[in-house]
Amino acid sequence: MSPLPVTLSGVERSLMHGPLPCAYSLPGETPSVAGPQPHTETSPDIDVEEKLKGAFARGWSVLVWNDPVNLMDYVVYIFKTVLKMNEQDATRHMWEVHHQGKSTVARETREKAELLVHRLRGFGLNATLEPT
Amino acid sequence: MICEQLNSTTWRLSFSESEAGFIINILARLARHYLQDPDEMPPALRAYWQGSIASPQQPLTSELRESQEMLSDSRAELRSERLNLAEKWIREFEISENRDPWRVEISSEERDEFVAMLNDRRVTLALEMNISHTDMEADPSHIAEKTRRSAILEIDVLGHFILVALGPQIYRP
Repeated sequence: MSPLPVTLSGVERSLMHGPLPCAYSLPGETPSVAGPQPHTETSPDIDVEEKLKGAFARGWSVLVWNDPVNLMDYVVYIFKTVLKMNEQDATRHMWEVHHQGKSTVARETREKAELLVHRLRGFGLNATLEPT
Repeated sequence: MICEQLNSTTWRLSFSESEAGFIINILARLARHYLQDPDEMPPALRAYWQGSIASPQQPLTSELRESQEMLSDSRAELRSERLNLAEKWIREFEISENRDPWRVEISSEERDEFVAMLNDRRVTLALEMNISHTDMEADPSHIAEKTRRSAILEIDVLGHFILVALGPQIYRP
């Protein structure tokens, strides 16, 4: 499978690979300008940090699976409409679904990937989600 | 059937009297289908309407279970919205004075919904009849079982309507 043209912003890259770029403080606390402090394993901040990383990382793949009914031209139109692909990419992914049984059509945050699965399924395509 | 783009957001679909009769019949069948509780449907149709957020090979983690519930809710909402649209078009057909051709002017979003609903009928018919790739590639006249042959022909005809409705936007090199 050829790589997808996915680009990550600096913020998303740092969320995936490094500490959060900002620190949050509660009322009465002195905000830290040096970024997050080291945590112990039991700190609830770790959960929050992990959830934030999970929410913003493009760590979820949207897959479309082959089926006997959906028309090729229809699938190309849906990829263009829902996934905002150009004609060439939409056609390439349609053929990948047709010949290989499935195609990874997007890598997104979980929320966005879920939305894409809902929309693709709304058009009758067999789309699923999986962590990358 | 003819599909014309009137402006950037409006489309006009024109049906001959027999095409309109066919489409209204399909919309009435769809309306009955959308009204049905998925729990009372055969397993393949129930699975289609509940939706599956992950492939069968993918273990359902707590995150995916949550996503699965959201997908099922969104599929239920979709059926309800499409039921309203089907009923609206049937009503418009019933009160229309000129049915040859029968013309409807719809937005781009409604056209996408119309096409997706015709596709719902194709997919649900295929699931109901357990229609495979081999069936779809076969010459329908060679399929002995009458109900199966009719289903495949209906899927083909609806495919033609979908392509005509999308015609102006389908790439034809």
